[in-house]
Amino acid sequence: MMNIFLAELADPNVSIPLVLPEMLLALTGILVMIYDSIRPGRRRVTGTISMVGLILSAVALFWIWSTPGQQLSAFGGMIVADSLRMSFTAVFLLVSALTILVSTVWVEREDVHAGEYHTLLLFATVGMMFMASGNDLVIIFLGLETLSIATYVMAGLRRRDLRSNESALKYFILGSYASGFLLYGMALVYGATGTTNVTQIALNTETAQFPALLLVGAAMLVIGFGFKVATVPFHIWTPDVYEGAPSPVTGFMAAGPKAAGFASFLRVFVLGFPLVVGVQASEFLHDSWITALTVMAILTMTVGNIAAIVQNNVKRMLAYSSIAHAGYAMVGFVGAGVAKTATGRDDAIAAVAFYMLTYAVTNLGAFAIVTLVARKNDRRTEFEDYNGIGFRSPVLAFSLSLFMLSLLGLPLTAGFIGKVLVFRPALEAGTSLMVILVVIAVINTAISAYYYLRLIVVMFFRERTEEWSQPKISTALAAVLAITIIGVFYFGIFGNNVIEMFSKYPVDVQMR
Amino acid sequence: MVNVLFFVLAGLAIACAVSCVYHKNPLYSAISLIGVLLSLACIYLTLAAPFIAIVQILVYAGAIMVLVVFVIMLLNLDEDKPLTRLRYLYPIGGALGVVLLAQTLFVFYAVTKAPHQASEQGNVIGQTMSIGTAMYTEYLLPVEIVGVLLLMAIVGAMIMSRRMREPNLELVEGSKEDGE
Repeated sequence: MMNIFLAELADPNVSIPLVLPEMLLALTGILVMIYDSIRPGRRRVTGTISMVGLILSAVALFWIWSTPGQQLSAFGGMIVADSLRMSFTAVFLLVSALTILVSTVWVEREDVHAGEYHTLLLFATVGMMFMASGNDLVIIFLGLETLSIATYVMAGLRRRDLRSNESALKYFILGSYASGFLLYGMALVYGATGTTNVTQIALNTETAQFPALLLVGAAMLVIGFGFKVATVPFHIWTPDVYEGAPSPVTGFMAAGPKAAGFASFLRVFVLGFPLVVGVQASEFLHDSWITALTVMAILTMTVGNIAAIVQNNVKRMLAYSSIAHAGYAMVGFVGAGVAKTATGRDDAIAAVAFYMLTYAVTNLGAFAIVTLVARKNDRRTEFEDYNGIGFRSPVLAFSLSLFMLSLLGLPLTAGFIGKVLVFRPALEAGTSLMVILVVIAVINTAISAYYYLRLIVVMFFRERTEEWSQPKISTALAAVLAITIIGVFYFGIFGNNVIEMFSKYPVDVQMR
Repeated sequence: MVNVLFFVLAGLAIACAVSCVYHKNPLYSAISLIGVLLSLACIYLTLAAPFIAIVQILVYAGAIMVLVVFVIMLLNLDEDKPLTRLRYLYPIGGALGVVLLAQTLFVFYAVTKAPHQASEQGNVIGQTMSIGTAMYTEYLLPVEIVGVLLLMAIVGAMIMSRRMREPNLELVEGSKEDGE
């Protein structure tokens, strides 16, 4: 009996360099945890270790990225090194580093146990990275669970606050439910195609056992991923969770997990369910998911923007704005799906990654200021609390105005280039559905001007009735503001450099 | 022989399931549920799936049932009184039961229609050993990721369940009654 197995041992096909960024970060997380248990409560040390880990991981990432002749996949095709993984991973690392810097203020103010918070944040980042690098449904699901469980806990870190508890519990119950859909969808796709490898799934759609099973599986995947990236109609959790979670965590959730969701969503659908001309099952599947996602994109943008108009709480407003931005990113996603050439598809994927980068930078900058204004227990988050602070705290007010303009998509800011790039692939496809989609996206951008400009108006042109004590801007927060402001302008003016880098590696799957 | 065993075990499972629904005392229901799970595990054994059988006992009959019993004991539940408020659930439950029954019959129908395939001799898929080999060769990386995932889940559970430093502090409700 024993010998049979020894003879058939599959080669695990290990390649340490290819998972080095993930490994380094996971090790850092464990190190932070151990250090915290030996010497608890040293916020600066654990924060510094985490930052060093993130930087080392980024170095490893750029090493893989820039070394020619690297192998493109390992672990039996479960992990790949393509442009999609590289660009999204860079976004995740930046998001985590900025989040650690933003949360320094909050961690000290609220007396949070920082070591555990940093550990969770690092493990969440590892999960996100696996979601981008996994070319296998198993890895994608495990990455997503790692990320989700960490964020459930992080949302509830302010345990004395009922809103934070509500946020964590809602996110946990609804998130687990969505994970169930995702897992069931994956099981059905596996049943139909006989493999969990995304590249193989694309090849096996021709010989799919039960096309209906594949279709139902894909629909369940749409629900699961749609929940994670907060698209209408799976967005109901977003405002409550974002409002109740601590401000730096909200900023992280809006930027990181959303980008990670898009990374897996893109990989599974654009690369896993491509259009194979002449195969009926594949054509039908491709048609269905393109149409479904187009409708979802339109709904997401419209509902997000219209609901944001009536909000009186800045965090809720930003939550609805994040829903709307998921809608814009989906325009690029659909554009990647309908692209006729492999280059067009890769460019569209790079555009979505770039969009998530611009959104992450802008959003984290905005949440840094929200954290600073909110004070203890996150109390001052209503629009009224921003009344007339414009000329009393000019640095905060002008930076926040800049971030709002970038979210709106004003030329010269990051948001503008991001929007142009994600709208372009859909326009290039030229079908009437895509043109309608882009027109609606542009109209939505105009609608969104109302609430972004409202915050600016409130800050500069309203009288302040309450007293205003200027919050102190710590070094870490000054660094965040500097990085995000420079980022907004750099991506807005020299965005092309980043885009070129993001589309450097060819995506592994051949277009057929 | 196997057929007789199957009918005995299946009968036991159904009897336990009925008793689980029938008993008014939640603890009796929980114990009946353990009976259901154990008889299912035995059925898996007769189907040559020892791994699933053991996992069924470890996870469901073990861990999850302990959780259920703990909840029952901590909440100190009284005997279940029939709720008149939830009357409307009966027809919904009945309808869902009919759907489930139809589904089961359809599966029976589909299985009898499908061509029979004799199971290959020496098929090792699904046995503990083949799962073990797959986990440590082909699926090495996922196993490692699960390690990180479980470690993090423990840390998260510790954070959530630890006693607060000032337990008497009031919970912060709503927003802004006072400033700092």
